[in-house]
Amino acid sequence: MSKLVTGDGRTHIDSKLMRESLVDRKVIARTHTDHEFEIMPNVVLVGIGGQSIFDRGKSALLPLVEEVAALKGKHKMMIGVGGGTRVRHTVSIALDLGVPTGGVAQLVGAMEEANAVFLNALLAKHRSIVMQREHFWELPLYIENGMLPIVISIPPYHFWEPPPEDGPLPAHGSDFGLFILAEVLGMSRVVFVKDEDGMYTRDPKKHPDATLIRRTTLEAVLAMPPEDLMLDKQLFLAWRNARHIKRVQIVNGLKRGELTRALAGEDVGTIIERA
Amino acid sequence: MGDRNLIANAMGEASLTTGAAAGFDYQPVAMMPDTKVIKVGGQSIMDRGRAALFPILDELVAAKDRHKLLLCCGGGTRARHIYAMASDLELPTGVLAALGGYVPRQNARMLQMLLAKHGGLFIMHDDFEKLPLYFRLGCIPIMTGMPPFGYWEKPTAGGRIPQHRTDAGVFLTAEVLGVKRAIFIKDEAGLYEDDPKKNPSAKLIKRISARELLERDLDDLVVERIVVEYLTRARSCHELQIVNGLERGMVTRALEGEDVGSIIHKD
Repeated sequence: MSKLVTGDGRTHIDSKLMRESLVDRKVIARTHTDHEFEIMPNVVLVGIGGQSIFDRGKSALLPLVEEVAALKGKHKMMIGVGGGTRVRHTVSIALDLGVPTGGVAQLVGAMEEANAVFLNALLAKHRSIVMQREHFWELPLYIENGMLPIVISIPPYHFWEPPPEDGPLPAHGSDFGLFILAEVLGMSRVVFVKDEDGMYTRDPKKHPDATLIRRTTLEAVLAMPPEDLMLDKQLFLAWRNARHIKRVQIVNGLKRGELTRALAGEDVGTIIERA
Repeated sequence: MGDRNLIANAMGEASLTTGAAAGFDYQPVAMMPDTKVIKVGGQSIMDRGRAALFPILDELVAAKDRHKLLLCCGGGTRARHIYAMASDLELPTGVLAALGGYVPRQNARMLQMLLAKHGGLFIMHDDFEKLPLYFRLGCIPIMTGMPPFGYWEKPTAGGRIPQHRTDAGVFLTAEVLGVKRAIFIKDEAGLYEDDPKKNPSAKLIKRISARELLERDLDDLVVERIVVEYLTRARSCHELQIVNGLERGMVTRALEGEDVGSIIHKD
């Protein structure tokens, strides 16, 4: 039974955090437990690259769509898509105009949503549905009824994007957004579909001598980041404190069957795990 | 395999995986620099009820025709109850952030009812782009202080309390609007070296840089720690002012630009 506590000019509800400063480290530590509840643990999140897959159009997208449609019956999954070249164009115009960082963050989501709608048109007959932000708690309804939710990948930081550490660009992009969505729902893995065999030591499009990293750890990526991270740096930073995500995998969506093998648990592409 | 259909642009093949944008002479515009972004504390003000809040509202109403006031609300004891319950259930930080968002919205609605006859207007995050209209009409827009991160809030190291709460939202609001100083109305004279409610001999810090404050590594702070961290690299909002709303006249003086209370500044 809750009780109200007064006497210091304020009216409190009795709770473990009553009267406490939520900034106090000792108070924050009291909210820690080793275990954390898993909300939807048996779902896998698949992120499809914008510039790498989407912007290639029909030849890359339609085979992948077929593969996803075939996978849907075998795995509980959600799909997210990146915004691709239109995001880069948006950003380049917006920076030139002097749009504040939060304003840039507010703008870029539209290009990703457009790709989500594209993908939904292609997958609708396989029961896909674009999740609206406020329909977050309908995700179990979709999943448990054999539907394929296409989630918004950019996180809703919008105008409130924190000041980035290293430049004017919003640092919380679509890879980060998908990662956090999977994490909060207690999923254990995220698979990113790109147009390369995985993460390389350097950008393989510019450096033919780049070597593929088959398997690595979060700690190794943070200690010695490859020249081209392929995924948002914020994803890796947030992963340090995450409780659920054990594996992030990057596979080549231009190769038929790679995604299928990844979802079956095979070690294709690049595998990043926590040490 | 088909080529990528790319639009030629200055970001070209940039990976966009960090904040870096090489080759731009970036000069952000200040959207609405003369707005006064003001936080009304949850536990410190709202939970005290009429005795604390009404005199503050009188000061705000008296100043409303001289200044564009944007009020942002804190949560308070009900948010603490939510965080305690959700922590007990071992729910993730993102769920705490989403649930914690309900309380400051309630507080904002309460303020709206109290200020309705003076033009108080409850607004959601999605109404943000209409701020110029509200100010043009002489209204006082009132919103939650919580940023809209919700379920997308990052996991917190060593605990579950979301790092971005209503102080963070207020700072980020000022930052994107191009406002130099964010004002936090609380129930203490400012920033202390220790929690003055528990340690009455704690010393007041009138003015300090964000970097110095971080170096002091205090166990407790009057504002969310992450805000002080962000302040070190902010482009527009360079000062946080913490004033005691329980002391008559302080809010007015802060609105007039006086350095009352404590000021935490970018170096």
